[in-house]
Amino acid sequence: MNLDLDEATRARLAQARALGEREMRPLGLEADRLGRPTPADHPFFQRLVQLGLGRTRWTGEGDTEADRAAAGAAPGGASAGAARGGGAVANLLVAEELSYWDRGVAVSFPGPGLGEAPVSAMGTPEQKERFLGPFRAPDRPRWGAFAMTEPGAGSDVAGIRTLARRVAGGWVLHGDKSFAANASRADWIVVFATVDPKRGREGHRAFVVERGTPGLGDFHVEHKMGLKAYESTSFTLRDCFVPDENVLGARAGAASDTGARGAGGPGPPPGGEARAGFKGAMQSFNATRPAIAAMAVGMGRAALDESLRFAREQGLLRDARVRDRLERVRRKLHAARLLCWRAAWLADERRPNVLEASMAKAVAPAAALEAACLGMEILGEAGGRGDHLVEKLFRDAKAMDIVEGTGQIQRIVMARQLVGLPREER
Amino acid sequence: MDFDLAPELALLQETARAFAQDRLRPHEREHERARRPGDAVLRLHRETGLAGLELPESLGGAGLGALARVLVNEELAAADPGAAVALDPLGPAVAALRAIGGEVALRGFALPLLARPEARAAVLVDTRPRLRVAEGRARGRWPWAPADRVDLLVVLERERVYVLRDGVTATPLRGAGLRAAGASELSVDGAIAAEIVSTPRARRALAHARLWAASLLVGTARAAAERSRAYALERVAFGRPIAHHQALAFLIADMAPAVEAARLATWDAALRLDAAPDDDGLGAQRADEMAACAFLEAAEAAAFVTPNGVQILGGHGFMQDHPLEKWMREAKALSLLFGGVDLAREDAGRALAAADEPLALVAPAPGPAGAGEAPR
Repeated sequence: MNLDLDEATRARLAQARALGEREMRPLGLEADRLGRPTPADHPFFQRLVQLGLGRTRWTGEGDTEADRAAAGAAPGGASAGAARGGGAVANLLVAEELSYWDRGVAVSFPGPGLGEAPVSAMGTPEQKERFLGPFRAPDRPRWGAFAMTEPGAGSDVAGIRTLARRVAGGWVLHGDKSFAANASRADWIVVFATVDPKRGREGHRAFVVERGTPGLGDFHVEHKMGLKAYESTSFTLRDCFVPDENVLGARAGAASDTGARGAGGPGPPPGGEARAGFKGAMQSFNATRPAIAAMAVGMGRAALDESLRFAREQGLLRDARVRDRLERVRRKLHAARLLCWRAAWLADERRPNVLEASMAKAVAPAAALEAACLGMEILGEAGGRGDHLVEKLFRDAKAMDIVEGTGQIQRIVMARQLVGLPREER
Repeated sequence: MDFDLAPELALLQETARAFAQDRLRPHEREHERARRPGDAVLRLHRETGLAGLELPESLGGAGLGALARVLVNEELAAADPGAAVALDPLGPAVAALRAIGGEVALRGFALPLLARPEARAAVLVDTRPRLRVAEGRARGRWPWAPADRVDLLVVLERERVYVLRDGVTATPLRGAGLRAAGASELSVDGAIAAEIVSTPRARRALAHARLWAASLLVGTARAAAERSRAYALERVAFGRPIAHHQALAFLIADMAPAVEAARLATWDAALRLDAAPDDDGLGAQRADEMAACAFLEAAEAAAFVTPNGVQILGGHGFMQDHPLEKWMREAKALSLLFGGVDLAREDAGRALAAADEPLALVAPAPGPAGAGEAPR
């Protein structure tokens, strides 16, 4: 047992820190002040591309590496193929460090984003080439996006209402999507829709909807409490035609899938195997939840460092009450960080980590918010001014207990693992 | 990064687990009543190689480090925390003696004690101080130590560690928890047999003591979480297992990360202690600081898990037919040792206040070199 890092990971972290300190922190504060996402044509994104960031982890050489990437989607992970310095633990550490400087900016990074995992896991070789290929050595900043959430369906993903209707040569999508990161600037969006709302997750299909597709529109960049540097975008699909070659996980039998299964119809729906594989990869060796948890740790760390600096400058560290509270925050972040490391390490080892990933995700956001809340209280009325980094972190950090499975959902997942909590009847 | 234990440590952990579950768990109420584990248990504990873990091989020990100790402690406490204390007659005195005089001190004080069955050492952390030291003698009263006799008293002050071999009178008490280890008030009036004045060494000895207690707390909390979870799956109320009511399901869910985080914090601190030399360098200071954090984290986890374990069993939890009430008492007793949580909070808070980057970019425990081995 050792909890040390290899040189490659240390080098990536040093790079992340330099980038964070120099560019991300100021950019995040600027976006927060201006109340808008960093524009897609900002030179920062061009510089990231020149640094080799914003790439896919799909190598184009078979699925092994891509499958691995499917389990680990941390923003800004640029190193593909490197066994050392490139796994879930390393990506998680980089995610923590980038979020230390600014999590909103980190999410705005170019790259295939959350859309990468479903394309990697469910796509045909041709689809991967078409959608991920341009991200292998991008000529310009490019984004991919992912849209599951709807105005009426968040945690309960089985409740999505965007309909996919079979037509000659493809599908017609109709519905509303919410809070999709980077969606308005994306080359394509992986949209989840249902062929039959009554079938829950079984009825879900994944479609790659390309920019400019007729019927895809009404992009609305939401106004958020924090994390303003990246766009969370809602959009509509109005009778939006998507050709068969853009359907993920439908290698066989898509043409015969009318979406209307007879009562008691035998066998899984076409494409179910690929989707099950995607779901399995996302759930069994989950690196996304630990990475999101690690981002929360990074944000909490930033709040702690700033609070400590302020407290020292103001002579508050002579007060045992202040020290005790700071100590608790540091300890909770340290503990959350260890939970994150262990969950990601299990993913790297290809060992099931459902419980561990949810533990990390359940614990870290609360620790981060506690750190930021304490920071505000240490600042006192200076925190009320609304112009301090800690105040921004206080707003930013709350999101972490909501995205990628709320704290409540994590507890349901944990309870299923621990006591077999039954699923609610639908 | 590697969370897997080295094969020899995994074997040690497995040995301790089997011993604890087979030999301690079924008899923990007997141990509590008798204020000591049975002779057969004591004998078997020695025979399975679980005694003398940290003693150097030259003194007949296993030459292992803090990581080995916390692994074994967790397993023993997960069956019977009181017996776990009794079965380690030296306990954190090993680290304190090492701080005083290395192998020589261990040979002079630890080996004679181990040669006498039933002999026990007690380690007190006296920062106020409560015991007065003058002219080479220590005098005073100590309200409680989890032992019925004290053959070697080790006292840790901020800047000094000292040892008494004689002059400690133990007056038995009922004890709140850990009764299987005994409980007594100590009356001290004896000559100091050895001492060292060194803040870093005293701090390091305290760090080992804290990890010793932290790992017992982790084991106790783990047992309470496991037992109450199992009960919640058996007990039916309102037509389903009580574990399937969300109020309890979420409570049980929250116990898991509490225990796991405390365990990982303890492991992390043990790795640091094993890797950082006993000097006053930054690595050593950080290791000692993280041991205080681990103790706090474990005490908080146990303070959350053990009363809620009682709660999940409801009325049964309050009855002494079930071990939950005992584990709740043991956890509280453990958290009072070595200056308790408030001293740990004070130490960790002061160290934090002095740190530039309390959770720096990368501050993992140093690597495998030396991990699991005794510091030289």
